[in-house]
Amino acid sequence: MQAAKSFVQAFLKQMLLGIQLSAVSHRSGSLQERKSAIKLSADVAMAVARGSKKWTRGLIASLSKEEQNRSFRQFVLGKDFGRPAKLCHSSWKIPRSKNIVRRSLRFLSKRKSNIRAPNSSVLAGTLVEKRTQVLKRLVPGGESMDGFSLLDETLDYVTCLQAQVDVMQKLMTTLEASKHRADSNAQCPKAKLHLLAMVGSCYSTRKGLWKRLSKRPKLIL
Amino acid sequence: MSGRSGAITDEEINELVSKLQSLLPESRRRRSAGRVSASKLLKETCSYIKGLHREVEDLSDRLSDLMATMDSNSPQAEIIRSLLRP
Repeated sequence: MQAAKSFVQAFLKQMLLGIQLSAVSHRSGSLQERKSAIKLSADVAMAVARGSKKWTRGLIASLSKEEQNRSFRQFVLGKDFGRPAKLCHSSWKIPRSKNIVRRSLRFLSKRKSNIRAPNSSVLAGTLVEKRTQVLKRLVPGGESMDGFSLLDETLDYVTCLQAQVDVMQKLMTTLEASKHRADSNAQCPKAKLHLLAMVGSCYSTRKGLWKRLSKRPKLIL
Repeated sequence: MSGRSGAITDEEINELVSKLQSLLPESRRRRSAGRVSASKLLKETCSYIKGLHREVEDLSDRLSDLMATMDSNSPQAEIIRSLLRP
């Protein structure tokens, strides 16, 4: 079972926007800060691209709660937490995720008063129970899912994780390759072609390519 | 899938389980089409997810190293811009 192409496209775009944003805002930050920002971009992008599922809500909720992500939470929740920093790129707009975050925070506080859902008979047995608990901790939002939902959400979550890893690998290969080639745009390494296909671009003619490159970049970075 | 209030059938459970099984790398290598036990499936799923989490961490590390030297003129920045153009 493979992730939908629309998910992959949305994920890549969202992650790249987040990476640009974090590259600017963490330019003078520590290595740990930069790494956390990249991982955050990847996780938020994955949740936002997937849309409304139990695990995506759980993921955004837990990301919002982490102390280190305070500035991200401030940004996403916008006016509730003060104006976002000026250097936020305008197309890093995740209007949907504001609602996802709000719903997630509500969902999180409801969860605390929720007694754990009864185990369905599907997953009876001590060893199975133990391992189910482990799985519940691994899948975001899993603690309050019953057996069937858990399996269903796990299936979806794993599919998205696989796509996340795949896209990040291709991105990295592409970026690494560009370091070693003088004229990185004359040749298109395979990984880059895959990425371009993901975003639906047609880089078929070199003429088109050079024309694009000669335009002034409008983005922050 | 979980939107209706009827009982969840065995068929649906089996379908979910086999889909999950087909995602797991070890299961794919195994040619047997026989059922695996629930506990084995859970165990493999959990280790697979942990493995994927580690990969994402590792890739984030390496990407942030690459970004560290990135400024607006670098080829990396240009690649990112080119991927973001519609």
